[in-house]
Amino acid sequence: MIEPKRVLRALAEHWTLLEPLCERFDAGTLSLVELRNQLALQLPEGTPESVTATLDQWIRLDILVPVAKSPNRFELNAQIHDFLAYLRREHRLGLCLEIEAYLRHLERLAGYIQDAFEIRDGNDLARQLRLLDMRVRDVLKKLANDEQALVGVAERAKTSDRQIPLRQRYAEVLATWDEYVEPMIQLVAADGAFEQGVRRVEQVLLKLLGEQARLGQLVDDDLLLRTHARILEMQTTAQLTLRKARELLLPLREEARRHNAVTRGAALALAAIRKKGLDAVPQASLPLFTRPQSTFLGSASQVEAYVYALARFQPKPTQFPRASAGRKGAPPRAPRTAREMLERCEQALPLPDLMSWLLEQEPEGATDELLYWFSRLARDTRFSRDRLERREYLTREHRVSLSSFALVANANG
Amino acid sequence: MNIDLKEMTQLAPIFRELFKGYHLSRSEPEPYAQLSNLQDQYRALFKALGFELVCDPRGFYYFVPEQAGAQVNKTAQRLALFTFILVEHLADQGRDPLAVLDGGSLGRDELPALLEKYRDLFVQAEVTTQDELEEKVIRRLTQLGFAEDSNGVYRFLPPMHRFLDVCLSVQQDRDLAASLHSSDLPLPAPTLVVDDDDILVDDEESEEEALARAIADEQESLA
Repeated sequence: MIEPKRVLRALAEHWTLLEPLCERFDAGTLSLVELRNQLALQLPEGTPESVTATLDQWIRLDILVPVAKSPNRFELNAQIHDFLAYLRREHRLGLCLEIEAYLRHLERLAGYIQDAFEIRDGNDLARQLRLLDMRVRDVLKKLANDEQALVGVAERAKTSDRQIPLRQRYAEVLATWDEYVEPMIQLVAADGAFEQGVRRVEQVLLKLLGEQARLGQLVDDDLLLRTHARILEMQTTAQLTLRKARELLLPLREEARRHNAVTRGAALALAAIRKKGLDAVPQASLPLFTRPQSTFLGSASQVEAYVYALARFQPKPTQFPRASAGRKGAPPRAPRTAREMLERCEQALPLPDLMSWLLEQEPEGATDELLYWFSRLARDTRFSRDRLERREYLTREHRVSLSSFALVANANG
Repeated sequence: MNIDLKEMTQLAPIFRELFKGYHLSRSEPEPYAQLSNLQDQYRALFKALGFELVCDPRGFYYFVPEQAGAQVNKTAQRLALFTFILVEHLADQGRDPLAVLDGGSLGRDELPALLEKYRDLFVQAEVTTQDELEEKVIRRLTQLGFAEDSNGVYRFLPPMHRFLDVCLSVQQDRDLAASLHSSDLPLPAPTLVVDDDDILVDDEESEEEALARAIADEQESLA
C-alpha cells in the first residue's frame, strides 16, 4: 500500500519534470533510455545518479509502471495519467458506449431502489440512492470532459498546418463524428437509450416520493428530490453537449466532405476532358460570366448611357403655375363634338371634297384630329360618298396624301 | 421599393465593373461595401434595367449574362479547366486545394511545372506556352474578378467558388461518371455568352485549334 501523501508530494516536487513528460506519454510509451534522455534535458545540472534516483522514486510510488511484456518500456500509471490530465485540463474524448453503459447501470439501480422500497429496507434504499447519485455524477463528469475534448478536436483541426491536405487535417474530426457524435445523436434521441433510461429512473423516484407520502418515510425526501434534480441536470447536460458537438464539428465535417467532393469532381472532369475533349464538361454546370446582356429594349450603349445619366442625376424643382396668375393669350378653344361637326357638314352639303372642306373649317387643326374627322364624317350613314382621285393636302404641319370623298345627302337617310 | 440615387454614390463604378462581367468582392472595398449595404436597392434598379444581379452569400456580386444558345465560350472552358487542373495538382502535392482557391495564393513560378504536367489538357484549351497561360487564363481570371495579381503572386478571390461549384456539380453528375466508363460520350458543350473579343479570337484561332488538336492526337498516338 503506497501512502497517498507520498505520491502527492512526489507529484508536487517533480511537477516541472512530469508535465513535459505527460505529452510524451500521451503519444505512447517511453523506453528507459528515452526517459533518462528526457530527464537529462530537464535537469542539465543533474548527475546520472540523480536521474536514476528520480526514476526509481517514480517507479516505487507507482507513478511509472512497466509496460506489460516490455519491462524496459514505461508508461504513466493510468490513474495518475488521468489525474494529471485533469490538472492539465487535457481531455480525452471517451466513448459513447461508456455513457450507454452508465445509463444501463442507472436503470438497474432504479430497479434495486424499487425492490428496496418494496421490502421497506431503509438502509439499502439509502445506499442505492447514493450509488445512483454517484453514477449520475460520473455521467456529468464524463459529459463535461467529452465537451472539452470535442473543443480540443475542433481546435486542432482548425489550427493545424493549412498546407496539409484537408483529408488528413480533418481525419480526427471525421473519426470523432462517426465514433462519438453519431452514436450520441442516436443515444440522446427521443426514443434513444438515454431518454428511456432517464424516464425510467425519474418514474421510480417520483413514485417513491408519492409512496413515502402515503406509507411513511424510509429516506429523507430531500435525498430523493436532489437525486431527481441531478437526473434532470444530466439529461439537459447531455443535450447541451450534443448540441455543442454538432455546432463545433458539423461545419468542419461539411467542409471536409465538400473538399472531398471538389477534389473528386475535378478529377472526374479532367478524366472526361482527357477522354472526350474540352466539351465533355456539362454546359449546364459551367458558370456564365462574360459581358451580360440586358433584356432592356435598347442597345447596350443606351443602357450604359442611361445608367451614367442616373448616376449623375440631379433633381430639379418643378415650377407649377400660380393660382392667382392670369392666362396669357386667348383661352384654348374647347374641342368640337361629333354632333357639332356632323351638323356643320350636313349644312354644307353637297361637298365636292371632304378633306378640302375640313381644311377650310379647321385651318389650324392638328393632322391627327383632321384625319379623325375625315374618317368619322366619311363613314357616317347620313351621307353618301364618292371616292376621288388620290392627291396631296397640306395641313398646318404635314403633307398628307389620300383619296378624299365627295359627299352628298344620303337619299335613304 | 424606394431607390434613393443620392445614397448610391458608387452606382457608376459598380455598374461599369458588373457590366464588363467583373465579379465584385471584398477586393474592391468601397463598391463591395455599398453593394452589401444597399443590396436590395441595387438589385431593384438593375432589374428595372434588365440586369439580374446575383448576390452570392459567399461574398461576391455579378450580373447574370444572357444564355446564348449553343454558343461555346472558350474563356469559361479554359478557366474551368485551369481550376480542375489546379485542384488536382494541389491535391497531388499534398496541399489543400480549397485553402489555395478560397483566399489562398499561387506563385507565378509554379506555372511552368503545371503547364508541363498537364500539357495534353492545356493543348485542348489552346494554351501551349507560359505566355499563353498567363494571357488566356490568368489575365482573364484577374479581369473577371476571380483573382488578383500582386507582383507574380496570384491571390484567389471568393468568386472562385463559382468554379468550385462546377467541381461539385460534376461530382454529383452521375451521368458523367457513368459515361466515363462507356465508349460513347454524348456530353453537351458548355454554353456561355461570348463577348465580341472572344468571337474574333475564336475565328482567328480556328486553324491554330485544328493544328493544336492534330499535335495532341499525334502525341497521343505516339504515347
